Amino acid sequence: MSAGPSGTPAIELRGLVKDFAVGLRGVKLRAVDHLSLRVEPGQVYGLLGPNGSGKSTTIKIILGLLEPTAGECAVFGVPGGRVEARLAVGYLPESPYFYRHLTGRELVQFYARICGLSGARVPARVAEVIGWVGLTEAADRRIGTYSKGMLQRIGLAQALVHDPRLVILDEPTAGVDPVGAAAISALILNLKAQGKTVLITSHLLAQIEDICDRVAILDRGQLILEGAVRELVGVADRQALVVEPLSPVQLGELRVWLAARGRTLEAVETPRARLDRIFLDHVGRTAPAKREGGP
Amino acid sequence: MTRVPFSFTRARLIGQNTLLEASRQKLFSFLLLLALSLVAGAQGFRDFNFGAPELKFLADLGYGAMAFFGAALTVAATAQLFFSEIENRTALTLLAKPVWRAEFILGKYLGIAAVAAVFCVLLTGLLAAVLWAREGSLLTEFPEAFPHGRTLHFADLVAAGYVQWLKLAVLAAFTLLVASFSQTQLYTVVTGFFVLVICHLQYLAQDASARGDSVFARAVAGAIGLLFPNFQLFNLAENVGAGVAVPWDRVAHVSVYALGYVVAAGALAVYSFRKREI
Ligand SMILES: Nc1ncnc2c1ncn2[C@@H]1O[C@H](COP(=O)(O)OP(=O)(O)OP(=O)(O)O)[C@@H](O)[C@H]1O
Ligand SMILES: [Mg+2]
Repeated sequence: MSAGPSGTPAIELRGLVKDFAVGLRGVKLRAVDHLSLRVEPGQVYGLLGPNGSGKSTTIKIILGLLEPTAGECAVFGVPGGRVEARLAVGYLPESPYFYRHLTGRELVQFYARICGLSGARVPARVAEVIGWVGLTEAADRRIGTYSKGMLQRIGLAQALVHDPRLVILDEPTAGVDPVGAAAISALILNLKAQGKTVLITSHLLAQIEDICDRVAILDRGQLILEGAVRELVGVADRQALVVEPLSPVQLGELRVWLAARGRTLEAVETPRARLDRIFLDHVGRTAPAKREGGP
Repeated sequence: MTRVPFSFTRARLIGQNTLLEASRQKLFSFLLLLALSLVAGAQGFRDFNFGAPELKFLADLGYGAMAFFGAALTVAATAQLFFSEIENRTALTLLAKPVWRAEFILGKYLGIAAVAAVFCVLLTGLLAAVLWAREGSLLTEFPEAFPHGRTLHFADLVAAGYVQWLKLAVLAAFTLLVASFSQTQLYTVVTGFFVLVICHLQYLAQDASARGDSVFARAVAGAIGLLFPNFQLFNLAENVGAGVAVPWDRVAHVSVYALGYVVAAGALAVYSFRKREI
């Protein structure tokens, strides 16, 4: 599925630098500082970092919305500034804002036509992606009336409508409820299963950990850590067992049993139900992406 | 590598969306309100029964209103429909698609020109109806003032309305050029009106460049005369009201003149927008 390091990477950044001139005297602010990255096709790649670390700026350079001060950027081998580089790319901007005068369906239709879809397949395809993001009920309402999370969802639909090979999502879960966030995770894993490449930024590290193959962490525009998630977070020589409560006597017996096998019991804790689990159980709506099968 | 050629289809889609935005933003109800007040205003002149010159007066009033409100509408619509894309970051999503920046500029321009066209068609139609009705009643009241029957020609009214639209189309191109590099909406609007005033007074600059005292003054006036179109050329109303047939060669000449300025301003707008950071 993922091409080896020898194939054309989905995204390749080499020595990328972006300076912004701020203030009247044009003081330079370095938003991206000699960033080099490779995202292989078929990967879900997480771009992490604190606020203002240059994640969105990097994405805008990849999409040709900003011009890099120095360095190179290529999407499937095509230089980033070219129109051709955007052919197979879907993009959800951070805190997106769409034409308020259109309904959700009209908006996705507009972008579908802009991306070259035409004829009778447009309405069907539009209805399909709107279903994936769980907006079918609100599809014929004006976007001006949408809530923040609904804007994110329609933005996601718009990013997927032309079946892109590379999907770039800038904080797709900001403002989305836990059910929606879980649905977006499922949607991303579905995209991955189809061999699509996904570049995602998010401050929900738990989500990133669940769905990403690799992550890069930026700070002040510099790459400070990069690697496979499994290698970065795995504590390979420990295991946790979750059981029904044991009495002190039983616990003592367990220690003896473990000692006989050369192990020690290091910690006994009462795990608490995670709030997101409780939320998901009680709200009880099935995640739309799961329900409708995804892309 | 697949090449993505410039696509008029994409430009048209962007233009249609722009026109739709204008209509849903109630820009057109503003137009309708204006048109209605014009009718009401024209009815107010019933008391001045002064025969044929009254028709000229009505035509002047109508085309004057079209020029004035049309210019205000064009500058405001250009600033709103183009600039808000950047301010609200909707351009971010659009330009991240395989869309040329030139397509974006052309699409926006087509949409704005269509808004101006709707305005001119509405007002020309209304003015024609008012003039025709007034002429009819004057004919019965003062038959001696109209020895040859009706003097107004519908084709002339349309030609004058078309030329008004040409002027707005040129103004829109200049305002779009300003918006392509401007950082604020207010700057776009103020500069747009400034351009409008210069274009109306451009003939003064032409005169000055011909008769200026110092070489410097002549050069400056000459440059202004060259850079900005002369909006006085776009006024055919005096012909229409007086029942004088519109000279078609002048309409053709003004069309070419306007197209030249639109293409030049549009090309500059594309150039300045090409590398703009969104
Ligand atoms: N158009 C701009 N002009 C000037 N400075 C900018 C501009 N855009 C971004 N910056 C600066 O560049 C830096 C990186 O911003 P960026 O938006 O890439 O951060 P981010 O990692 O996406 O942060 P967040 O997590 O808050 O979204 C910030 O210091 C920001 O102030
Ligand atoms: Mg960001």
